[in-house]
Amino acid sequence: MTATSARPAPVKLPRDQDPRNPVTRLSTLFDESTMQLITPDDTSGMLAAVGLVHGTHTVAFCSDATVMGGAMGHEGCQVVVTAYERAVADGAPIVGLWHSGGARLAEGVLSLHAVGLIFQAMTLASGKVPQISIVLGPAAGGAAYGPALTDVVILGPEGRVFVTGPDVVRSVTGEDVDMARLGGPEPHGRRSGVVHVLADSEPHALTEGRRLASLLGDQGELDVDQVADVDLGMALPESIRRAYDVHPLVAGILDADSGLELHAKWAPNITTTLGRIGGRSVGVIANNPLRLGGCLDSSSAEKAARFVRMCDAFGVPMVVVVDVPGYLPGVGQEWDGVVRRGAKLLHAFAETSVPRVTLVTRKAYGGAYIAMNARSLGATKVFAWPGAQIAVMGAAAAIRILHRRKLADVAPDVRPQVEADLASEHERIAGGVERAVEIGVVDEVVEPAKTRRALAGALAQALAGQPVRGAHGNIPL
Amino acid sequence: MASETGTEIVAEMVANVVSIIARPGHHLEPGDTIVILESMKMEIPVLTDVGGVVQQVRVDEGDVVQEGDVLAVIG
Repeated sequence: MTATSARPAPVKLPRDQDPRNPVTRLSTLFDESTMQLITPDDTSGMLAAVGLVHGTHTVAFCSDATVMGGAMGHEGCQVVVTAYERAVADGAPIVGLWHSGGARLAEGVLSLHAVGLIFQAMTLASGKVPQISIVLGPAAGGAAYGPALTDVVILGPEGRVFVTGPDVVRSVTGEDVDMARLGGPEPHGRRSGVVHVLADSEPHALTEGRRLASLLGDQGELDVDQVADVDLGMALPESIRRAYDVHPLVAGILDADSGLELHAKWAPNITTTLGRIGGRSVGVIANNPLRLGGCLDSSSAEKAARFVRMCDAFGVPMVVVVDVPGYLPGVGQEWDGVVRRGAKLLHAFAETSVPRVTLVTRKAYGGAYIAMNARSLGATKVFAWPGAQIAVMGAAAAIRILHRRKLADVAPDVRPQVEADLASEHERIAGGVERAVEIGVVDEVVEPAKTRRALAGALAQALAGQPVRGAHGNIPL
Repeated sequence: MASETGTEIVAEMVANVVSIIARPGHHLEPGDTIVILESMKMEIPVLTDVGGVVQQVRVDEGDVVQEGDVLAVIG
């Protein structure tokens, strides 16, 4: 970034009192008195350490924003590479705290080369150890792509992620934009999908980073005896046509207060949540009918695909909660690549090695039925609630196509009755949960009040024996 | 989306307006329902994520709204 407008000179605090001091930030991240530096506390612009996070051995590094605004030179980049080598050798989660204007201009191409070595190290570690980024200040240029290559990105309120800053944008495109609108919580939380978790303060950002390191790095054992049933049906409205917010249902499936939702505001028609069941880490993917009716679209398919691949890479089993009317129709979606981006979700589930259990609560229609971890994609077990609909489309819509000619000849006053009769007949032979059980795409119809233990039991059974995880990286889809 | 007059609540998708719940002058808390839309054969409540007084409701029952159309303004 280059400053062209006059700004007041920042107040310069002594380094040991500066809240941006990486020693201060890293020691706040780790459990108290557990941090050990693994690189020298010097002027490289980066600092790395090991320590415990909720008791789990973790590696972390932090930009030193007290030196040249955290700009990255070849020495600082070597610190990050060292941290990655340690994390991979130890099989430990790695957390990066970012506050950097990008590559050090004075070093020229040497700094670019060094930043590239970080990207290489991150990519080689992808899928091997959980990588969490916490962006606490500007993360520009090379410092933007660092977090972007990792599994989860947390943004503090002062975090700003962009490739080119407002001054360059203004001089090149004439757009007048400030750092917050260019790369702050609103654009990255809601629009771009760059950020997974928005934090409202720096301590909150570090707290969420600690929770994630624990959820991914210390997954625990599933103890079915700990799992009590609750009536999950309470989370649904009486009318089958009424949309509802799926969050209470997801919270009800997970152990109390264990859920951490990723990408909460981006593509909110699907929710992706890490949490625990019976003490063990799980990932929950759920359609959210309150947003876009719960339809799958290009963004939500991509969001879910990335989450599924992350869970698979780290051996986190999944629960897939299905209530989906289909793919969102429209020119916008087709041109937005719903075919290409929707295919990512099919690919993600089909290649998954970890146990993944599906629960159809109300309906699963069309291609979206397949994409939500159907039996055909290798679901470990498929449950459905009584009355669930699994079909190519809703019965009323289907019979209007199948019996178009017949219906055209029916007098208008009796048409509703004829349609209702045809729909119930169609449901009997083609939709309906009984038919799905008969052909083996649903294993078991389960009551909402008995679902939690059923899900936990199915996961526990599948998890017995050698732990499995997908043998692949986690490309930021 | 904030505008000079308040926060605009927009339709996320093509839909029919089934019913208007909030009228101009009503005070809403975050999470309250403004209108109910019908799309994909479902009734989808549109909630406000900000609190405030309903300044305008720009749709009527029976209207067809497009993605991005302003349904109401909360100030």
